[in-house]
Amino acid sequence: MDGQPLIRLQGISREYRMDAEVVRALRGVDLSIETNEMLAIMGSSGSGKSTLLNILGLLDVPTAGQYWLDGQDVAQLSQSALARVRGRRIGFVFQTFELLPRQTAIRNVELPLIYTGTPQRRQLAIEALERVGLADRMKHRPNEMSGGQRQRVAIARALVQHPAILLADEPTGNLDSRTSEEILDLFETLYGEGQTIVIVTHEAEIAQRCRRIVRLRDGQIESDQRHGDAGKRTAVAGAATGGGGG
Amino acid sequence: MIFFSNAFNALEQLVTHKMRSVLTILAIVIAVTATITVVSVVQGFTRYVSEFLEGLGTNAVFVAPQRPAGEAGKALGRVELDEQDFRAIESQCSALRRVSPLVPREGARVRYGRDEITVSLEGVAPSYHTVRNFPVDLGRPFAIVDVERAQQVCVVGREVLRKLELDEGLVGDSLLLDGRRFRVVGILESKGSFFGQSLDNRVLIPYTTALKMYPVFRRNLILACEAENAEMVPEAKAQITNLLRRRHGLKPYQPDDFIVQTQGEILATFNNVGTAAVSVLAGIVGISLLVGGIGIMNVMLVSVTERTREIGLRKAVGARRRDIMLQFLTEAMTLSLIGGGLGIALGYGLSTLASMHPRMVDVVVPAWAVLLGFGISAGTGVIFGIIPALKAALLNPIDALRHE
Ligand SMILES: Nc1ncnc2c1ncn2[C@@H]1O[C@H](COP(=O)(O)OP(=O)(O)OP(=O)(O)O)[C@@H](O)[C@H]1O
Ligand SMILES: [Mg+2]
Repeated sequence: MDGQPLIRLQGISREYRMDAEVVRALRGVDLSIETNEMLAIMGSSGSGKSTLLNILGLLDVPTAGQYWLDGQDVAQLSQSALARVRGRRIGFVFQTFELLPRQTAIRNVELPLIYTGTPQRRQLAIEALERVGLADRMKHRPNEMSGGQRQRVAIARALVQHPAILLADEPTGNLDSRTSEEILDLFETLYGEGQTIVIVTHEAEIAQRCRRIVRLRDGQIESDQRHGDAGKRTAVAGAATGGGGG
Repeated sequence: MIFFSNAFNALEQLVTHKMRSVLTILAIVIAVTATITVVSVVQGFTRYVSEFLEGLGTNAVFVAPQRPAGEAGKALGRVELDEQDFRAIESQCSALRRVSPLVPREGARVRYGRDEITVSLEGVAPSYHTVRNFPVDLGRPFAIVDVERAQQVCVVGREVLRKLELDEGLVGDSLLLDGRRFRVVGILESKGSFFGQSLDNRVLIPYTTALKMYPVFRRNLILACEAENAEMVPEAKAQITNLLRRRHGLKPYQPDDFIVQTQGEILATFNNVGTAAVSVLAGIVGISLLVGGIGIMNVMLVSVTERTREIGLRKAVGARRRDIMLQFLTEAMTLSLIGGGLGIALGYGLSTLASMHPRMVDVVVPAWAVLLGFGISAGTGVIFGIIPALKAALLNPIDALRHE
């Protein structure tokens, strides 16, 4: 809004210390993401995609580098401030859905609202489920739903707070191609409504539908491409971006 | 607002995980119930017996002839306690207030009309009423003349009336005691029962009369004495011992050929037994608490994986550490309170039920037993509910989510 990117990463590294050796999952990643981008992160297995997304989602902490969200260095945030940002600014969609197994769809979607003390949780949860096209499955439990429906519940849960950014780690990884298509259509619709989205995927077809593709290799950014025919809004966003390296 | 939604959320979790909740509650109930019931019964038992023994007169001292064990005992000649000993003790032991001989005849037959029953017959002196705290509540107690003239009079206990289906009109009437006719002069105040054994199934007659009927007791008397006061009991014991040793001509190396037992010693003996019983039962209580505790621990720890992931997810969608802790504390405390409450209710119920059994004592539920049972089980519940939650809450959300 004031020329600041929504997200800015600088020199982000993540090392895992195993017994003797050190696994370097990310090594010095620089990346900027603007409001209302639809970005795909690609790369071979083990290249660090999930690690990067978890750091973006404040689910994990980098071992080096800096991360500004809304211009705020997240390393300066207290634990409860981090929780607040996770709850209000970020919506995270997991490959394995991560729904509470014994609770209904609507209960699962309400969950983030509990921690922000939002009144009228039920109403907001119903609206979110309607957005993902699950109005008729509100009282179902995860084991009474198909994989695609579960993932929609998870997306509704990520959307219920109207987050600044939606992060999805292989959201279609456990789904068949037709269901994947539906989920992707849903993402495109959300994007069309102005939602900022980052999707981790290794499927080229999915990546092709995003306006920007960041490729990782061995924990580093290998390339950062924007489509020539970048859709309606991206022109504006693209102009404001200083570029994300590569 | 967030507080209530967290608390509500916790309760919802308990309902959702029914099996886990039920098992935890069950473990707590078992531990608390076992503690309360066992401790209460033991306490009731102990209190009952001490009260009973104290009711028999705390200053009482009993003397009886007894051959000492072992070679030294065999070396002694006749072991006797006779009327001369009684007279000597009565007149020379300054620490004693009263002395009464006791001729114990168990299983004496009482006959009234066609009915015959068996009682404990005791040949005693008038002072026995006071020494043993056996007052008469109808008619009269024994008098000196009854003893001096060896009259055939008796004082009967209430149980004798009940068994013979007679009323208090028996006073003045007569009955047959081991075949001899006795006039009933008084009725003893009721002493109730001791472990279902009536203490009122007793008939007292003058000891002189008893010695005529059962001459074998002439050299085999028991003496029931009363010390001046509680402080004088040891002194009384010493005086009796010295006097009897002298009278029986015992050399310094020879052991006593009699025993002197004070009420306090009888109480102490019982208290030792009581303490032993309490320690055994404390062991049982400890084990049930341990079992209950392990049960709670197990249920709590088994669900750690699932719950760690749940915590990771909750953190990922915006839960703060304190939200997580609040939720888990509410869960653990609710389970503990329900389990503890049920356990206390059940413990009281069982104790009351035990009291209702005619051969059982009045059970006392001490507060410390309730606190102990509840404290330990609720403590384990809360600690083992909270510690895994705390550990998980401190993890990065992603590490909690990926927990296996
Ligand atoms: N918790 C961990 N402990 C140790 N090493 C880890 C951990 N998580 C990830 N790694 C390592 O970090 C590297 C990057 O992992 P990451 O999950 O980010 O890969 P990815 O690109 O998402 O792969 P995939 O496409 O298979 O999901 C891998 O080499 C992995 O082994
Ligand atoms: Mg991955």
